[in-house]
Amino acid sequence: MTVHEQFAEDLALYALGALEGDERAGLEKHLEECSACRRELQRLRGDLSLLAMSASGPAPPQRSRQRLLSAIAKEPRSAAATRSAPWWRAFEWLGALAAVAVVGLLLSQNTNLRRKLVSLQTELTNQQAELAQAKDVVATFTAPEAQQITLVSAKTPPQPQGKAFYLRGKGHLIFLANNMPVLPPGKAYELWLIPTSGFPIPAGTFKPDAHGSGTVVNPPLRAGIEAKAFAITVEPEAGSAAPTSQPIMVGAGE
Amino acid sequence: MEAKAGLSTSEAIGVPSDYVLVAGIRSGDENAMAQMYDRYSGIVYSVALRVLGDTGAAEDILQDVFMQLWRNPGAFDASRGTLPAWLSVIARNRAIDSLRKKRPESEIEDVIVSVEPDFASEADRKFALEKIRGTLSEMPAAQRTTLEMAFFEGLTHSEIASKTGDPLGTVKTRIRSGLLLLRKAFQT
Repeated sequence: MTVHEQFAEDLALYALGALEGDERAGLEKHLEECSACRRELQRLRGDLSLLAMSASGPAPPQRSRQRLLSAIAKEPRSAAATRSAPWWRAFEWLGALAAVAVVGLLLSQNTNLRRKLVSLQTELTNQQAELAQAKDVVATFTAPEAQQITLVSAKTPPQPQGKAFYLRGKGHLIFLANNMPVLPPGKAYELWLIPTSGFPIPAGTFKPDAHGSGTVVNPPLRAGIEAKAFAITVEPEAGSAAPTSQPIMVGAGE
Repeated sequence: MEAKAGLSTSEAIGVPSDYVLVAGIRSGDENAMAQMYDRYSGIVYSVALRVLGDTGAAEDILQDVFMQLWRNPGAFDASRGTLPAWLSVIARNRAIDSLRKKRPESEIEDVIVSVEPDFASEADRKFALEKIRGTLSEMPAAQRTTLEMAFFEGLTHSEIASKTGDPLGTVKTRIRSGLLLLRKAFQT
């Protein structure tokens, strides 16, 4: 994929925060749809970080370090984590008020409601059918009794193999592994999403069954992360926040 | 495919990598925060000082950037890029907002930075700095000035054009091609 030339200069200005008005709105709309231009924007920010490096100057005064450490000592992590809660409260109240308004509106439009109900019931039936089908698909991948057969060239001994199915927009991931070696006690395999830049992101742990097969289904991943590759390392059973050993398997996207 | 998931050289000799420090900050480890500060306060402070030209104001930006990392370490995850690159862009944006007396325009969660050098060690950073300065000094003076006005002074392309008398199109082209020259310097 290549960057759309008509947006090339605007992307640089956008990265600098210098694009405004219609030009900015137009580019943001395009960025929602174009992964090549999103990627170029990230690279331009990388170029800006190089420019930032050129500012290298005197070290900050010692008092700044003390000021920061005193400030964080007054804000232990648990307190910091709870501070962001109150603004959600406002949304809860807004949500409740909105619900009351919607109920009132629906009561006054009873005929409409009945018509919509029929339509929703049809939609629900369709969705239930789709859901059942989706469950069947996932069960085929993940059920303990599901047979997993890997086909390889004749005369090739079985090799460890992993296959990741990743839906970036939703952050959904299904990973299937076969022929995995037996792990030492207290260890598990950990799957890592390697983003286009930055550190590996934990994407679930698994222990292979007696046949060497293992799965990871929808680990908690933020939607929208572009994956350059996936990798497997051997980690403590509880999983690690960052890899502590060399990857034993890696695979780039197709 | 390169195996990026392994340990870095610095980690192998006992220096925790950035992602180990970020994991520590996420779990509330003040010592990890102190190490992170020792590693990158120089970059953040230098950028802020270059933009604001005032040591007190630059110290405020330094405090602000690291406090945000402490309060919301989830804002920086692996997909945001390398930490020094991310911090330097955040510091520049915050300093420009302060210069213009604007409320912060973009949330730090929205900033993703993709850059080739990872500045993993002090030696890497020194090497990169020499290369960056070399590239800037080889640029035509007008291009370098345009780039620095846009980045360190936070001027828009229109403001630069009216200040220098150059056509708007020329200013836009100089900015983009100047950034691409910096990128090219690190491509092998």
